[in-house]
Amino acid sequence: MTPASRWVVAVRTSVVLVLALTFQLGIAPSLGLFGVQGDLLLLVAIAAGVSAGPDRGAAVGFAAGLAYDLMLQTPFGLSALTYATVAYLVGGLQDSVLRAAWWIPVLTATLASMLGVILYGVFGTVLGEDLVGVALVRTAAVVALLNAMAAPIVMKATEWAIGSGRGARARGVFR
Amino acid sequence: MALSRRTGGRSRLTIALLVLTSLSLLTLDFRDSPIVQSARRTAATVFSPLRGAAESVSEPFTNAWHGITGYGGLKDQNDELRRRIDELEGRDVLQEDAAQQLAELLGQQNLEWVGDIPTTAARVLSGSPSNFSHTVDISKGSDDGIAVGMPVVNGAGLVGKVVQVTGSRATVQLITDPDFAVGAKLLPSNVTGTARGRGRGKDLVVDTPLEPDSEDLPTPGTSLTTSGAELSAFPDSIPIGKVRSVRESGGGLAVDLVVRPMADTERLAFVTVLLWEPPA
Repeated sequence: MTPASRWVVAVRTSVVLVLALTFQLGIAPSLGLFGVQGDLLLLVAIAAGVSAGPDRGAAVGFAAGLAYDLMLQTPFGLSALTYATVAYLVGGLQDSVLRAAWWIPVLTATLASMLGVILYGVFGTVLGEDLVGVALVRTAAVVALLNAMAAPIVMKATEWAIGSGRGARARGVFR
Repeated sequence: MALSRRTGGRSRLTIALLVLTSLSLLTLDFRDSPIVQSARRTAATVFSPLRGAAESVSEPFTNAWHGITGYGGLKDQNDELRRRIDELEGRDVLQEDAAQQLAELLGQQNLEWVGDIPTTAARVLSGSPSNFSHTVDISKGSDDGIAVGMPVVNGAGLVGKVVQVTGSRATVQLITDPDFAVGAKLLPSNVTGTARGRGRGKDLVVDTPLEPDSEDLPTPGTSLTTSGAELSAFPDSIPIGKVRSVRESGGGLAVDLVVRPMADTERLAFVTVLLWEPPA
């Protein structure tokens, strides 16, 4: 299969980001559990890391976080910083993990979602937001659960948008 | 292997640049850069129709979800009952404050009384769009005369203030937001302080100039309203909350009050925007 051109990837990624943002802003607040809502933009960032590795994953994570930051009244750039970091870490981890089973990316998304929320809390606290506490762990656990439910769909959509960098990365590793 | 090293190096460069960019944006935001405000306003305006469409289309599904998670058909009834309770509680504080105001300020002109300020009621469209954001979106915007900075109340008391406006909707920063601060006064002592939010579901904290052995130390249940001090961002006498406890601060030299907000910001269905702009 011929790899999609950069423009196609950019357009497809934008479509996925707009859809995720629309869902996050318009629907997710009503679909919470215990007063906590899932974080689709974080999930897109993680999926990008899984699909395309640390480099492109971090770039997509940054874009997802920035788009989210534009719609919130939280510190501008905090989501971008967090999502780029999480996508980079996940992408780096995925380089060295074999993914024969379907549940490995879902488990990765679950754990990375938890990490993302906690990282957001830690970065936020460094910036004076006072987010670290028991409530943060509870929020992280619920976000991880909700994101795990959405992970298969978001993973597919992101892979369609960005393409899978597995082949190229594998060739690079074994060269 | 050479490619792998090159790829790894590029990845590290990418993440370093992205982190640097994020930190630059955070710095701009902390300096209240108009670029950030303008970008947020534009994004909110552009995204408003999409968001509205998503909310409408998803309503049956979200109702089904509420049913599954036990919220169900009691939601509307609960909202209505809660609104009535809020109004009754708020009325108590307002009457207490009104009596004091009348006794002390009768005859003074230009008394800024909340009841005289024009208002517009709005429906709460959606809750906070993030787990770390303390805002709600309401169904009215600049087309209805709403502007940034206007106070938002409900039957119980102060809910927050408008922080972003588009033509048909506005974003309200809730009183529980850790970045929210409002000048407050204790009744009947008139001791003033600053009330600050501490996050979702948490009480407010009011720092006061009171000393731990002060005669004016409030007892639990004492009411607080907005102070309405000169150049205040809020008009006078809007109920804020009731003192839950008193604690020492500043190494035992001062006193902080833990205050339960009158308005339940977790379950807002309707709010009222006071069409009152803070003095420049």
